[in-house]
Amino acid sequence: MKWVSKDIETYLTAKEYVDTAVIPLYSVSFGNEMRESASGAEFITLLTSYLERQFTGRLLLLPPFTYLKSDYPENIVQQLKKWEENIEKNEFKHIFYITSESDWKIYEKELKGSLIWLPSLPLEHLNDQQKISMIESQVKQLLSLFTQKWNENE
Amino acid sequence: MSKHRVSRRQFLTYTLTGVGGFMAAGMLMPMVRFAVDPVLTVEAGGDFIATPLKISDITSEPQRVDFTFEQKDAWYTSDVSNTAWVYKDEQDNIVALSPVCKHLGCTVGWGTGDNPEEFFCPCHFGRYTKDGTNVKGTPPLAPLDVYPFQEKDGLLYLGKAEPKKKEA
Repeated sequence: MKWVSKDIETYLTAKEYVDTAVIPLYSVSFGNEMRESASGAEFITLLTSYLERQFTGRLLLLPPFTYLKSDYPENIVQQLKKWEENIEKNEFKHIFYITSESDWKIYEKELKGSLIWLPSLPLEHLNDQQKISMIESQVKQLLSLFTQKWNENE
Repeated sequence: MSKHRVSRRQFLTYTLTGVGGFMAAGMLMPMVRFAVDPVLTVEAGGDFIATPLKISDITSEPQRVDFTFEQKDAWYTSDVSNTAWVYKDEQDNIVALSPVCKHLGCTVGWGTGDNPEEFFCPCHFGRYTKDGTNVKGTPPLAPLDVYPFQEKDGLLYLGKAEPKKKEA
């Protein structure tokens, strides 16, 4: 389910079935890194929206957690932990973070949710069909990861 | 001065008729338009979208077909790709099923569960038989939606998925 009023309406009536929250993590930077920052965000957006389509009924795709790359990492992690606390309070059993930013790997242990890091693929030269098949193959790998995680707790 | 003088009475009659005519037309035009409108839209209706699948390639095994169309969400237009599971049933009729689970909208797969001859939803383990009927005891409460289809130049065209009609 997406973060739109219609989906949230369904979510509220079917809360017990939706136990997974997915949060995309985006970094924003300017200057030399602007290009990578944008293409990483684009990749994660496409990926998470496709993922959401596959698992609409069990996961809620939250608005992306966006931070300035130049900010202190401790602050960023602190901020994300606050999100985590709130999400956990709202009966989500599983939390997934999806990012193309490798820096997050260092802080993975501090987070309770699972961090999925995927290196961003250059999508700018692909046509739509190629984009879709590329994202699809990436998501396919994620699907088994999700089902695995779900099965662990059952 | 012209020979044909217009009297004051005549002038007023002409003006009133003219203005009255405009007002009547202003009222009637939309009414006529509304009355005719349903006839006009039927012509434009029936949005069937081309899929890359050839009719001759359809087998008895459900196969995945992706097709793309433009969707407008407020002012944001985007290309949306949709999927259908297409196969021929025993009577050689083409069946195109929507992959959207009737429980909470996940995407179902063919034969991905424990049973190779069923549609399976990974989210809450919903199951559907090959004809799209939901298996009792699993979360979905309705059969999978069915796409209306058309054949054009040997290709399969799909319309908008609609709930399966109850068989008589």
